[in-house]
Amino acid sequence: MQFKDYYQILGVEPDAESKDIKMAYRRLARKYHPDVNPEAGAEDKFKEVAEAYEVLKDAERRAEYDELRQYGGKPGAGFEPPPGWRYTNGTNSFSDQEFSDFFNSVFGRAGAEHRGAQSEGNFGFKGRDLELEMPIFLEDTLAEESKQVTYHIPVFEDGQVRQIKKSLNVKIPKGVTDGERIRIKGQGAPGQGDGTNGDLYLHIRLVPHPLFDIQGHNLLITLPLSPWEAALGAKVTVPTLTGKINLTITPNAQSGQKLRIKGKGLPTKTGMGDLYAIVKIVMPPTTNDATEQLWKKLASSASFDPRTAWSN
Amino acid sequence: MTEILLTISASELCLTKTITEEMILAAVESGVAEPIEGEDLVNWVFDSTSVHWLKKAIRLHQDLEIDWVAVAMVIDLLQQKESLQRENQYIRQQLKRFL
Repeated sequence: MQFKDYYQILGVEPDAESKDIKMAYRRLARKYHPDVNPEAGAEDKFKEVAEAYEVLKDAERRAEYDELRQYGGKPGAGFEPPPGWRYTNGTNSFSDQEFSDFFNSVFGRAGAEHRGAQSEGNFGFKGRDLELEMPIFLEDTLAEESKQVTYHIPVFEDGQVRQIKKSLNVKIPKGVTDGERIRIKGQGAPGQGDGTNGDLYLHIRLVPHPLFDIQGHNLLITLPLSPWEAALGAKVTVPTLTGKINLTITPNAQSGQKLRIKGKGLPTKTGMGDLYAIVKIVMPPTTNDATEQLWKKLASSASFDPRTAWSN
Repeated sequence: MTEILLTISASELCLTKTITEEMILAAVESGVAEPIEGEDLVNWVFDSTSVHWLKKAIRLHQDLEIDWVAVAMVIDLLQQKESLQRENQYIRQQLKRFL
């Protein structure tokens, strides 16, 4: 076990006043709090900072820590609590933090046990909730069968964390959208004492599809048309999530024009969203003499200026 | 059979180690969470997505020692950020198909 220099972690002098310690903590906590800083490593850094503050904000605990520090604790050096060391002062605050082995060896597993003391009666605490990212294919939102979810439940035993693998069959409720979280009761970490199990939350993420884009419960598909199809109208076959559908394009279709195909979107809680085909006019990549002649003929007879908005 | 729910009641929330009735009241009063059913705390029901934000709010309130008004602002901005990121991702993908 390594000795932790809480002053160094907070970036304060060992004789810092409590208000400076508080200020240093707040500054670092704001920077590294995992709820606002998604970067890798931020959470570990925050835990370290929170642990340092947990000790240094409390005068009695700080005094005990200072004593240990005097006794020979050096940052990074091996550390064993002095023989007969027993932390007796105070109680830990209302906190769900997990602290380092160093903290636990000095101050006992008080962080957990203080709250645990309340659970020694007839009630315990609900186990921890777990949250998982759940990637879902668009096709799966229409499927009737369940999807298998495999995850790990961390279980604390004798100061060690053990991962228990678990598999569940989950039927995704109808109408669930991207970013929504669904709750699976009692499938989180086991409760403490008489407490119930935690819940499992699945954070639904719709996987990007090669053809379809999502807009709420509607789907969008880009419909490429040749210039003459756009000009003259056409009958095209458009893929949907479940199959194909025939669509009639009226003459003079514009790029960006949206054609609604009712009921071919994603399921909502009460019905179905729509599919929109968005026209994209595509030029043929190559041309030959014959087509060039035809374009030239068109150019000389059509009086169309697509840039009228630029004039004046 | 797994029990899949899209809601959670206030009393169920209070079973969680870190959540108390006072916190739920403070979160609702400051606008961090909005019950979808129920007139008072005992009957309040939240949607399952709001639990994620409620827990985040409580962590921010405790760990950063900031008041509920500030917490509500942070949560609101984080939610806006999440939805803008998602929208941005959709629009970029759509744009790629069109260009």
